[in-house]
Amino acid sequence: MRQTVLITGGTGMVGRELLPKLCSDEAVEKVIVLTRRTAQSLPNRKIQLVHGDVCKPDLGLHETCRQSIAPHITTIIHGASETSFHLELSEARAINVGGVKNVLRFATDCPRLKAFCHLSTVYVAGKRTGVIRENDLRHDCGFVNSYEQSKYEAEELLSSQAHRLPIAIVRLSTVLGRSTDGTVTKTGAIHSALRFLFHSLAPLVPGTDESPLDLIALDYAAESVALLALQQFVPGATWHICGGSDAFSLAEFLEQTLELFYQNRPAWRKRSIEKPAIVNLKTFELFVKSIEDLGDSVLKNSVFVLKSSAPQLAYPKLISDVETQRTLSCCGVARPRIRDFYPKVIRFLLENNWEAMPQAQASLSIRQ
Amino acid sequence: MSPGIVAIEYVLPPGSFSLQELADAELLASSPGQLQDFGFDRCYISSEPADELALRAAAALIKNADVEPDSIDLLLYASALSKNHQLATDDSLSGFNYPAAKIQYELGLTRANVAGISQAGCTGLNYAIKFASDFLQANDNANRILCVSADVLPKGSKREILYNVISDGACALLIERRPERNRIIAQRSITKGYYWDCISRKNEIMAAYFPTAKNLFQELLRATECDPKDLRMVLPHNVSLRSWEILLDLIGVRKDQLFSENISKKGHVIGADNWINLKDAMTSGVLKPGDKLLAFNFGFGANWTAVLIEH
Repeated sequence: MRQTVLITGGTGMVGRELLPKLCSDEAVEKVIVLTRRTAQSLPNRKIQLVHGDVCKPDLGLHETCRQSIAPHITTIIHGASETSFHLELSEARAINVGGVKNVLRFATDCPRLKAFCHLSTVYVAGKRTGVIRENDLRHDCGFVNSYEQSKYEAEELLSSQAHRLPIAIVRLSTVLGRSTDGTVTKTGAIHSALRFLFHSLAPLVPGTDESPLDLIALDYAAESVALLALQQFVPGATWHICGGSDAFSLAEFLEQTLELFYQNRPAWRKRSIEKPAIVNLKTFELFVKSIEDLGDSVLKNSVFVLKSSAPQLAYPKLISDVETQRTLSCCGVARPRIRDFYPKVIRFLLENNWEAMPQAQASLSIRQ
Repeated sequence: MSPGIVAIEYVLPPGSFSLQELADAELLASSPGQLQDFGFDRCYISSEPADELALRAAAALIKNADVEPDSIDLLLYASALSKNHQLATDDSLSGFNYPAAKIQYELGLTRANVAGISQAGCTGLNYAIKFASDFLQANDNANRILCVSADVLPKGSKREILYNVISDGACALLIERRPERNRIIAQRSITKGYYWDCISRKNEIMAAYFPTAKNLFQELLRATECDPKDLRMVLPHNVSLRSWEILLDLIGVRKDQLFSENISKKGHVIGADNWINLKDAMTSGVLKPGDKLLAFNFGFGANWTAVLIEH
């Protein structure tokens, strides 16, 4: 069956990487990208941009547009979300839960729909510790930030609709950059943390030496999502795209990072910057409070970023991808080893002065 | 046997000022409430120059320790601020008027070699202790060294530096080859020149403080096979209690092991804190022979120093 894919979040970090993979699938006839932006060039002949917004009823689509696309859609990949960790819960919910509601409503008007693939985060596990398996969801351990909680609530909503629609969930871990050349197409909290580390502005990290730090390659994330949504889709399934047993320990991550700074910037060694101290959460929070009380803008900026993401390390968890690996490995998708591609990402960030690849350049890869 | 600190005297100016008084005089950057949260209450401001405070502390030490002035082999004078190393007038030649030489003359330390330690920020006196120990170990005929630290901020200076309330004061230590108590077990220091520019690298310095201090502590304790729990007391530099809470956790030391009462009472007396605190702890009678004490200080430059002593 020829497939027509509707993707939300197609201009985001994973979405942009995903588009060429969707287009290269021979079964895909058309990829409809819902975007809030206007006047974008068409990067591929299979791609159709439609102007809309997941936060609006009917996805903000013009009625004629909605009527023209809905009957053809076979697959929905819902990737649009607000990934900021600092929002008030109500703001995060408006986008991450409200968006799901709107896409679900739209999905019920798609008679040919065979697959509704929701992109989530492995951190719906919130403050849970220990092994987190693909079929785990409900818990009452709480969350580190509003992003985690809103994505959790979105999954609960999707779960309640699973009897009506062919829904599957793909939970992604923290995306670092491309495994091939280290390219970072959009920077997030992890990249900011690395920048602060380089500039000696991240003295304390919560957690333990053994806390797993789960990072994945962008190309692996995109390839996996494409495969699971188009070829291996199973209604009701949940997949983990994560480092799993390949994750760094926090101590190793810090050690490796400083070593890579030295290797790439020999002059940096002169600074004699210490490896951040790994502390318990209470001490980390006391440090954050002290900096916030003092009101110094540079350090405040650093703790602002770290305080809403780094505490996750104080809830050590091993994200299991055993089931997902079974599916992916059968299809020849290999998970790049973090120890192989992490050096490339660090080199990219240093060579690009901590900036992501400009969007225009990043989109070139979509054209190819 | 390693050298030790056999006598301590310190001098604080007669006038101390509450945080509110300092705020009213526009000598603080933060609010009094905020600084109170950080453990401060007041500070001492001197109308006398540093060399006068140093002279009084050294004179009191020689008198109270009952030592002959000409038995002193070396005088080390430390101060964090370069102005406190000069008794300058308008005459450019006065740039060579050194307080250390003046103290040697005034106190009759006729046999003492004299040198000054500057450019080590608040760790100057700790470096003096280190150099004194090394000097004694390198010179069989030397037995007694006087280390003096004096710091007076320029008149009208803000009394808050990096969220710490600063006092003027002086402290004198007598280091001897065969001490009855306060034997110096080990010392460690780290200098990181990257942080030499304390204005433009202010944030980096604040961030570097904790992990560097942690490593220094741990290295010192590991080398001496001393468990943090076995420390009777940590003699702090009197910086914010909040920063000490963080650091104590990093090094695995309980809050009740910290001699913290002088943070509020005396403020941060630049280079003298650790040893004022030792003197006060001794006076209060809480120490007994054999107690292990760890002094830690940080100074611009940037320098981290730690001294482990056995009371």
